[in-house]
Amino acid sequence: MSDKPTEAAACDRPAEFEPKIVAFVCNWCTYLGADLAGTTRLEYPSNVRIIRLPCTGRIDFNLIIKAFEIGADSVLVSGCHPGDCHYTSGNYHARRRWILFRELLGALGFDLGRVYFTWISAAEGHKWQEVVKEITEKTRQMGPYTSLYQSPSAGVGATLVVAPEGGHKGRPYDAGVWGGEAELREACRRLLEEGKVKVVIGYGKRGPVFVTRPEDVEQLVWNDRCLANLTVYLKRKEIRALGRPAIVVKGCDERALVVLEKESQIDRKEMHVLGMACQGLGEAKCESCDVHMPRFADEVIGEADQHPAETGERWKSLQALLALPDADRMSYWATEFERCVKCYACRQVCPMCYCERCLVEKNRPTEIEPSATAKGNFAWHILRAFHLAGRCVGCDECTRACPAGIDLRLLNLSLAKAAEEHFGYRAGMDPKAEELIGAYSLQDKENFIR
Amino acid sequence: MSATISQAALRELVGGLIAQGKRVAGPCEVKPGCVLYAPLVSSAQLVLEGFIRPANSLKEFIFPKHEELYGYRITGQGIELTEVEPLRAEQVLIAARPCDAAALPILDRVFNWDYKDELYNSRRQLTTIVTLACAAHDDACFCTSVGLGPAAERGSDALLLELGGGEYEVRCLTGKGKSLFDGKLQASERVASLPSGPEKRFEAAVVRAFVKENLESPFWPAQTLACLGCGACAYTCPTCHCFDIVDEGNIERGVRARNWDSCQFALFTLHASGHNPRPNQPSRQRQRIDHKFRIYPEKFGEILCTGCGNCARNCPVGMGVLRVVATLESSASGSAR
Repeated sequence: MSDKPTEAAACDRPAEFEPKIVAFVCNWCTYLGADLAGTTRLEYPSNVRIIRLPCTGRIDFNLIIKAFEIGADSVLVSGCHPGDCHYTSGNYHARRRWILFRELLGALGFDLGRVYFTWISAAEGHKWQEVVKEITEKTRQMGPYTSLYQSPSAGVGATLVVAPEGGHKGRPYDAGVWGGEAELREACRRLLEEGKVKVVIGYGKRGPVFVTRPEDVEQLVWNDRCLANLTVYLKRKEIRALGRPAIVVKGCDERALVVLEKESQIDRKEMHVLGMACQGLGEAKCESCDVHMPRFADEVIGEADQHPAETGERWKSLQALLALPDADRMSYWATEFERCVKCYACRQVCPMCYCERCLVEKNRPTEIEPSATAKGNFAWHILRAFHLAGRCVGCDECTRACPAGIDLRLLNLSLAKAAEEHFGYRAGMDPKAEELIGAYSLQDKENFIR
Repeated sequence: MSATISQAALRELVGGLIAQGKRVAGPCEVKPGCVLYAPLVSSAQLVLEGFIRPANSLKEFIFPKHEELYGYRITGQGIELTEVEPLRAEQVLIAARPCDAAALPILDRVFNWDYKDELYNSRRQLTTIVTLACAAHDDACFCTSVGLGPAAERGSDALLLELGGGEYEVRCLTGKGKSLFDGKLQASERVASLPSGPEKRFEAAVVRAFVKENLESPFWPAQTLACLGCGACAYTCPTCHCFDIVDEGNIERGVRARNWDSCQFALFTLHASGHNPRPNQPSRQRQRIDHKFRIYPEKFGEILCTGCGNCARNCPVGMGVLRVVATLESSASGSAR
């Protein structure tokens, strides 16, 4: 870094602060634009470190996080103008991802004033000069990025008033029976007896049960303790080995089937889906539930329309979080993540987390630090949340499973909200809809890209 | 005759310790409905009633989830190592559950077996543990099945027993406990009655015999199908102590650290060749029970379980040691018949 104090720094900021800016740029346009700026002798601050990648479509969101972790004060991502991508559509894919990722960064309390996106072509040496000058100047005025992963100085005590732990905690197991239990058992007995299925994946008194014999259907229950999203078992080898399954789903769980089929993880023809009309489990998600009647099941069992009317607006629980100033929002998460022990229950219960080997388990090289430190925990939760962007069906199993009581649903909600607001998309609602990530539209909004 | 302390005086004592700069941790409602052992910044945060037990375990104050062992720096000449600062801060763990405290003498054995673990031992020495006898239990509790009870004294420096009316009987069990409560106790005629514990649910000896003889039994796949392979049971268990050693840093410098690890993860036993001797969840669940009820007792003479029930309460699919072991016992006695 240059030691020469610049004019702006000479005003009232301490002279020693020189912003560090990391720029992830596309090889085919911005990199050449920056090169052009150099060969035409345009002067611009030396605070920017350029990292060249083949395409903005290849810029992993983790790189932005990593840049901040190792001390960047601002990050710039720059690629080809729409229509100019060397690989036809890499920048469109990137644009869609950045729209969502910015929302996640916002929900986590990152300072979005430090994340810049631009389109700069190989001919725009002047634009590169302007952009770098402007970012350097703005960052200099903002000062060093010190609030990253900072927990509040007062120790324990998040400032956010949050919803209490899910209503299921402390509720007795034998709370009662919902209408449809007998019918469900009968349907399962029939399916097993007729040999239509080899196993029923259903709810037992204390958790999931796998019924393989008609005489064991009495193990199945249907009540307000039927919390788990059983679709998670469809991908598990031990369960698959049992043969063709029948699976018990609630309307919310069923959305996972839609996504899993879309992603070619399951074949709906290879299973029998028993949809249960749900009366609401008393969880936060149930307040704004509009899928209490399963829509795609092979048969629907239970009393229709016993579910209380929606009382909550879908993003209600997000409001308190989003109302906080950035730094407070980040310190809220820092306090929450301090309790994370990295047991990965959030991942294991998630029907959408079906990777054979999770990125966090790769160590050559290490992408996500396995330690349960502020850095490692933020990196993990950002990874988990963003890999579920446009895929999370909002079953809230991650939140229910967390032994540390971390409200992971808020991160999922922030992305679901972004998907709905920007793209009118809700995961698992419409089997015909194009996936959110993996597709793009020329109309995707880009008012944050210069 | 007994020595007693009022709840107000206990809180005052805690406040005083915090003011002295000691690290004080105890049950704390970190958010509505979620009680965890956590460092306390004020005595008002200490929660003494209204919950069964914290959802995490006390071990994280002695054997933290992440601990730096030493630092390194790669220079042109080679590698420089830097020692971590020796631990000096005293800590007091207050209102711990007897099932948490009892785990520590059990852990002492493995941390001082072939290698004396300095970090663990110095934390142990710097820690005073005040337990509060359990006034209530739920259907996940099974301390009485592993030889403990709601007022077990093992591992505690002092034990508090509720007398009612905001008073506690204090039994100082060690020098550390005595000096902590020195001058703070009242003499009283009241003596606490021993709280009732959960019903005994199984015989540990039967479990041990079963796992020894039924390593390949179809019992394991049948009973553990629901397990999703997370580490919630192991990480909230007071006795699970497996760890992994990692290097974290960049090309110039970094740290070598140890992190908690769990036998429930697929990577735990994965060989470099790609072979995994415990290839599926039933074999990993079996290992967990085997280690707790056979391997550890054979090696160290103690069951590696204090019956706290955290594994069951934290399991997202309602499993846990008790559920597996209780079904195992019935199938063991079934096969004997």
